[in-house]
Amino acid sequence: MKILHGTWIPQVEDGFIQRGAFYLWVETNEVTKKSKTTQHIHPCQLFKNDLETFLMQELGIKSELRLHPIAERISPQYFLLPSHGDRPLPSLELARYIEQDLPEAFELKYWQVDCYAAKTPIHMIGSDYELVTNVIKLLNELHFIAMNNLAEVQLGADLLFWYHYTQTFKQVILKDQYIPALKYREVVHPKQTVSAKSKKSQPKNEPNFEVYPGWEITSDQYETDLKRYVDYMPLACVAGFAEPHETPEFYDRELLLRHFSECLLTEIATHTPSTAGFEQKIDDTLLHHCLSANDSSLGKNSRLELYQQWRTWRDRISHIQTAIPFYLCFQLQEPGQPEAPWELQFLAAPKQDPSLRVPLTEYWSSKATRQKELQKQLGERFEQNLLLNLGYAARIYPKLWQGLETDQPVSIAMDLAEAFEFLQDSAWVLESAGYKVIIPAWWTPKGHQRAKVRLRAKGKSLSRAQDKSKSYFSYDNLVQYQYDLSIGGEQVSEKEWLELVKAKSPLVKFRGQWMHLDQDKMQQMLEFWKKHQQENPEISLIDFMRLTAEGNEDLEVEFDRGQTLAEMLDKLHDKSRLEAISDPVHLQGTLREYQKRGLSWLSYLEQLGLNGCLADDMGLGKTVQVIARLVQEQEQAKQAAMPLKPTLLIAPTSVVGNWRKEIEKFAPHLCSIVHHGTERAKDTTEFQAMAQQNHVVITSFTLIRKDLKLIESVDWHRLVLDEAQNIKNPKAEQTKAILKLSAPHRLALTGTPVENRLLDLWSIFNFLNPGYLGKEAHFRKSFEVPIQKNNDPVRSATLKKLVEPFILRRVKTDQSIIKDLPDKVEQKLYCNLTKEQASLYEAVVKDITGELDEAEGIQRKGLILATLLKLKQICNHPRQFLQDESDFSPERSHKLSRLSEMVAEVMAEGESLLIFTQFTELGDALEKYLRQTCHYNTYYLHGGTNRNKREQMITEFQDPETEPSVFILSLKAGGVGITLTKANHVFHFDRWWNPAVENQATDRAFRIGQKKNVFVHKFVAIGTLEERIDEMIEDKKKLAGAIVGSDESWLSNLDNDSFKQLITLNKSAILE
Amino acid sequence: MAQFSRTWWGQRFIAALEKIMDSGRLSRGRSYARGGKVKSFEIKDGVISAQVRGSVNPYFGVYTEPLYTTTIEFKSISAANWSAAIAYVASKASLISRLMLNEIPDNIDNAFAKLDVHLLPHHEDDFKTECSCPDWSNPCKHIAGVYYLLAAQLDQDPFLLFELRGLSREALQKELAKSPLGQALSAELTLTKSAPEPDLSYFTKPTVQTAVAVGSLKDFWHGAKRLPQTIEAAPQASVPAILVKKQGDFPPFWDKESSFVETMEELYGRIRTKNTQLF
Repeated sequence: MKILHGTWIPQVEDGFIQRGAFYLWVETNEVTKKSKTTQHIHPCQLFKNDLETFLMQELGIKSELRLHPIAERISPQYFLLPSHGDRPLPSLELARYIEQDLPEAFELKYWQVDCYAAKTPIHMIGSDYELVTNVIKLLNELHFIAMNNLAEVQLGADLLFWYHYTQTFKQVILKDQYIPALKYREVVHPKQTVSAKSKKSQPKNEPNFEVYPGWEITSDQYETDLKRYVDYMPLACVAGFAEPHETPEFYDRELLLRHFSECLLTEIATHTPSTAGFEQKIDDTLLHHCLSANDSSLGKNSRLELYQQWRTWRDRISHIQTAIPFYLCFQLQEPGQPEAPWELQFLAAPKQDPSLRVPLTEYWSSKATRQKELQKQLGERFEQNLLLNLGYAARIYPKLWQGLETDQPVSIAMDLAEAFEFLQDSAWVLESAGYKVIIPAWWTPKGHQRAKVRLRAKGKSLSRAQDKSKSYFSYDNLVQYQYDLSIGGEQVSEKEWLELVKAKSPLVKFRGQWMHLDQDKMQQMLEFWKKHQQENPEISLIDFMRLTAEGNEDLEVEFDRGQTLAEMLDKLHDKSRLEAISDPVHLQGTLREYQKRGLSWLSYLEQLGLNGCLADDMGLGKTVQVIARLVQEQEQAKQAAMPLKPTLLIAPTSVVGNWRKEIEKFAPHLCSIVHHGTERAKDTTEFQAMAQQNHVVITSFTLIRKDLKLIESVDWHRLVLDEAQNIKNPKAEQTKAILKLSAPHRLALTGTPVENRLLDLWSIFNFLNPGYLGKEAHFRKSFEVPIQKNNDPVRSATLKKLVEPFILRRVKTDQSIIKDLPDKVEQKLYCNLTKEQASLYEAVVKDITGELDEAEGIQRKGLILATLLKLKQICNHPRQFLQDESDFSPERSHKLSRLSEMVAEVMAEGESLLIFTQFTELGDALEKYLRQTCHYNTYYLHGGTNRNKREQMITEFQDPETEPSVFILSLKAGGVGITLTKANHVFHFDRWWNPAVENQATDRAFRIGQKKNVFVHKFVAIGTLEERIDEMIEDKKKLAGAIVGSDESWLSNLDNDSFKQLITLNKSAILE
Repeated sequence: MAQFSRTWWGQRFIAALEKIMDSGRLSRGRSYARGGKVKSFEIKDGVISAQVRGSVNPYFGVYTEPLYTTTIEFKSISAANWSAAIAYVASKASLISRLMLNEIPDNIDNAFAKLDVHLLPHHEDDFKTECSCPDWSNPCKHIAGVYYLLAAQLDQDPFLLFELRGLSREALQKELAKSPLGQALSAELTLTKSAPEPDLSYFTKPTVQTAVAVGSLKDFWHGAKRLPQTIEAAPQASVPAILVKKQGDFPPFWDKESSFVETMEELYGRIRTKNTQLF
């Protein structure tokens, strides 16, 4: 693994102008042999040649010109890094890839590192190429590469910081928040020796200053951002130097950020490509000097005067920018009568309390005492600042001068055309200039009433939906529509439309409402309408939905009020409008309120022939909602006397058993079968027969590919994909196989926030509604790149509109969910044994069956306890039982594989979790696995942890500024006394025989201070003693006479037969 | 300096002179002003006195560079009239605001119309000129040279005009103090201008501090706070060059005839859009 690091390093100071460069370096754990740990040279870095190859081949940095090879931009720099002994310590990102415990104590040492200066050659007018810092662009690209795993790299926290900062700083350039500037430098001259000879040629007063042209940032936002970013900035970012210092030192964070920002702006401004024409425009002016890329000071002629002139100008800019304590506001008032004049009123509002707007009419007419009071709020020298401010505003919008022909300015009057111009342009200009402009609601984007061609969906063929028996299976609903002329959502006749087209002003009062109409466009729309009026087209519901979502400025999709189609789309966009339906009669269990709404959504969507994705947060019970839907449809089908074809449920191997278990629990009357393992149906006939006899066939993603032929041969009623993100790779065989299956209904389940991972989203939609989001390449171009790389809010909104109706995602922090949810939600996770686990398990059981009959007393008790221990180890992971340091891989234990899937989901949500186990050796292995293989931030508390370390870990874990983390605790060491309320998920990897002990452990998270619901997940290995013990705990009556003690010894009181029964393996529970 | 003045008042000021002089002398006057021939320049009590270097001209028997003394004196407006005019100015926010922005309002004459006087020189009687040069004509080219420089100065300091017409800065303050709006202007005028503060370095100087003990690796590699999880969306386009626009066009350091604001708009636009390789 390679971690990208980097920071801004100022040059060694050698005068008035101190520049710097952004240096990138690569930390790696793949250390090449040749790199001996020479003193002061960082051993775990990509050295010059490798770095060059890596930059070009992996990161796509081009060596643009032969004259400027990348190698020239690589040079050694020095970093002050945490070190131990004679080695630097790995960064936190790399540490997760290395099996090495980090020491608690460390010192800081300088290390030499080969760095790439982030620069690109820019062609300059009249000269050759110059190397210019391109860090903003480079970091944006690197971030994109790392985010999308396009290369085996990760950004270090230092580089991630710079990515964020450069994106924020870019705003200064995009919003023109800087001005040309002059820097005034005092120069101390050595005393001049006056010789008689040279008296004349020596100027008497050698000026003791120099003036340098440059640039200056003038922005409140910039200042605020700087303060904010200082808190985000790691020390690693202030630890880079052009040469090593004698003692450990850091740059001051804020000063380094300022230095970086100023250097960057200057570099960009002075290397902007120019043209001869523009050069001529600025020839011999301040701007010419400011834009030229050399460091020299201005010539001597009149530079002091120039500086003073510039300085006055600049002081005024910064004064109005920051020093005036109130906002000047302009409010446009529409007239009561269409012909009457409009009025633009002047108001003032204190910056501290901008909602307190004082109209100037009120201010001037107030008594002196009241004026004094207002002045207190509006700041010192209010009238002076007001006039100055009005003057500046009038400069931008000269019409304001009219309102100033008095000693008490309050407003100006406008006619219709002027009001229109104001709304159209000047309001915006004033707003950008820092004034507050209040315009009538009907002009705002929200209140804007537009003239549009309205696509009116008649939805006639949807009326079939009223007919229950038919509608239930009809999924190719067609929508009929026609075009109307409409304004502000109301239908308008051709005659009215024509009148408006002829109106003199784009501002009209129509049906009692002021509105803005674009007459030219209206003319075009009229023509379009005339052309299409005769048609009576039909499109499918899903195409219709795409049309509505993608939208078009002039074409508006609307519905008649109270119409079914409108209502339907409303419901899909705003799911809270779905009515919760009552639990299906045969469902064993009670649905929570939101689960009922979920069920309602599932059935509603299917009725409309649409396919959706249920994306509720982990723990909210997606499984039970799906089962409820299965039960419900069976009931409906029975009523309609229409037998249903089976549903195929595809899930990761680790949850296949859990599905079966949950179906048995909630819907024992449904026939379900797991198609998996060696015993599974082998040929088409057998498979078809098996499918026919069941309501649900459960299988895994892996088998879809292997058994595609069999699975394809059945007409499915529905495909359900659990953990649907598994099909995110469109090129994978498994994805291709799934896309080959056909069924009228498709449902995807996922707990990860799909809307943030655009390609996952596309893949899921490609399964649900192929073509809806376009082809992959098209989707990348029109959504993924604009949204993820360019942060385009418009594309993002469009995509949201497109997918929203098809995704039901409730998060546990929703107020409406919280009220339906108990504070503590317990859930069991049933996992099968792998074949390896099963054979180990059987061997142990076989061994003991013989021995048990012969053993007695203490020996018997010991035997029983030892057996229990072994079996539990096997249920966890074969390695734990074998103790052979073999691979701790999820392939060998469904429990581990399920755990890592769930941990991934919690982490993706940005939440923290606890994992409890009774076994230290398992805790060790889990910690290593989650840290080094999955790269999460982990903590591990066990019996051997000392008190200090324990306190430190707890504090760090609880700190809100710590990233979401995994805390692994041994049940004994971590079960009592401590508070870990940052976690809201608790996993019990293995079971304790006494629920009280488990609950006590759970309470580490479920304590005072916990503001979220706590989700408790308990793993149970199916068909093993774990499952049986779980049953016993749940229902103590089953084991008459046995007293559940605080440890396992009570189990030794069981007689031999009961014990054998307890531990026997149910073979149907084995899954590969 | 292509033109001596780009403000309407400076140009009107020049027009008063150009009305009464021949074009030959005017043009020589302009070269005098441009060529740095005006050696010193002093304004005291409304009287401008200057030292102008003449030219060597053997034909007239001038063999060494002569130095002429030139004075221009403007006719004062009476104190009573000033009182009335300033009272008028102080009754109009538009006039006061413009003066605050260091501009002579283009309707300033309204303040003087009733009094039957003009603020700007209007007529040859409005100013008296003298020069020690041998030229029989008055005004001569030396006077014109000084006059042009004066016009250029008026662009930057419009209140000089008041002074030339007999209202000293102190007297102006006194008159302004009589009304609330006037007080606002008066306060603005007395704001002390900051002396040039020397910049110690071209860019903010990044200083170093001795590294204090770093508690944990996390303290080294992570910031005090976590970075936000999202990047703010790109903003909508805003009005270009707004910082510069507020200050009005033709700032004192800009002596091109084309608009400074438009040039800046183009410049900002170029920086924003032409640097695709950099950001």
